[in-house]
Amino acid sequence: MIKSGRLHIAILESSKIICEGIQTVLYQSDMDCRVHRLDALDDLTELLDNQPIDILIANPVQFVNREKEIQKIRRRYPSMAIAGIDFGMMHKPSTLIDITFTLYDSTEHIVQLLQKLDQKSQSQPNEKGGEENLTKREIEVLTGLVNGMLNKEIADALNISIHTVVRHRKNISMKTGIRSQSGLTIYAISKKIISIEDIDI
Amino acid sequence: MKMADLIDGNPYLLLMLQHFSIDFRVSDHTVLQLCNQYGISEQLFISIANLYNGSGIRGERPFTRKDMLQVIDFLKSSHDYYRFDKYPQISDYIRQLQENHPEKELKLLEKFFNEYFSEVREHLAYEDEVAFPYFITLLGNGEQDNRREIYSSKEYSDHHTDIELKLKDLKNLLLKYIKIDNDLDLRRKLFMSLYELEFDLYIHSLIEETILIPSGIDIEREQG
Repeated sequence: MIKSGRLHIAILESSKIICEGIQTVLYQSDMDCRVHRLDALDDLTELLDNQPIDILIANPVQFVNREKEIQKIRRRYPSMAIAGIDFGMMHKPSTLIDITFTLYDSTEHIVQLLQKLDQKSQSQPNEKGGEENLTKREIEVLTGLVNGMLNKEIADALNISIHTVVRHRKNISMKTGIRSQSGLTIYAISKKIISIEDIDI
Repeated sequence: MKMADLIDGNPYLLLMLQHFSIDFRVSDHTVLQLCNQYGISEQLFISIANLYNGSGIRGERPFTRKDMLQVIDFLKSSHDYYRFDKYPQISDYIRQLQENHPEKELKLLEKFFNEYFSEVREHLAYEDEVAFPYFITLLGNGEQDNRREIYSSKEYSDHHTDIELKLKDLKNLLLKYIKIDNDLDLRRKLFMSLYELEFDLYIHSLIEETILIPSGIDIEREQG
């Protein structure tokens, strides 16, 4: 069987010990995954701009009073599943969380839960518009790029730093396998990100 | 080892023979016999054949000056292969493809390829007219006047990365993104040509980077 590729899992938990523990459990399991550690919710938004995340493991305390933001993130990244760490404080099932586990669950149980969660998220239409999972930001950068804008111009238009533009460009090339600007133009047209009328042939 | 058996094992060696200006009718000659007949050192021949067979150079330098001149001839001959054979062939396939399919992407792809091809031609001309003559002068005598900075292997590999990079883009666009209906014969031929070209370009830069440039630097150092 061909595996569908590496899972990207983000852990949103401010306790280093818990983070470290979950990470160890994941890395020692047979899941092929890459773990991203986050201290606060704001880090998540920034991460998602650059890296599609399959599963978010979160301490629900982080969501308190920020339900609206979480809902927005879920709408924007529908393929990301959320697993909550149950500290015994969750009395009613939350719509913001797909599954929960406690820190006292066996490692096998936790890994199994996460694997099921991944299968579920894969059965959903996963690719947002099919753009090799380019994020919205990356698509914006790509659009600027194929319209002949310089890094600086793209940075100004999107209100981000040049450094960030460069990072987005790297990710775009990594995800699409296309490195040259003219190649990316053809890519963007094939994917209907831009219209052919925008380009003079 | 008989040359004919080697070719059976890896037909890409025919390309190597051609770049060495060795005729394909190799009879029952062994590699050594063939090398003697064509005045090529066996060590050089085997080093390059090993690259074609997928193993690296085993640090068997130094090559002689005569070897290096032959390497330059070899590289020039592969330039002709790119310029007059492989790229025009690919260009033909892409033009046919573009004529068979009205999709505008293919028009853009043709444009992409044509621009790429002219960049390649420019690079080949640069090597033929600037780089190789420099090496030949370097090999010919110890004259130090008008000595140009040896262009670094970095400059070399930057050029090559560029050439190989756009070729990869072309392949990826056709493999992953541009939707073309049917026409499998033509598209397969195009792919095979792209892969053949990619392979020879790869060997070409390996020869430059592992044989030509290190030896050039050795000679420079020797001449102080």
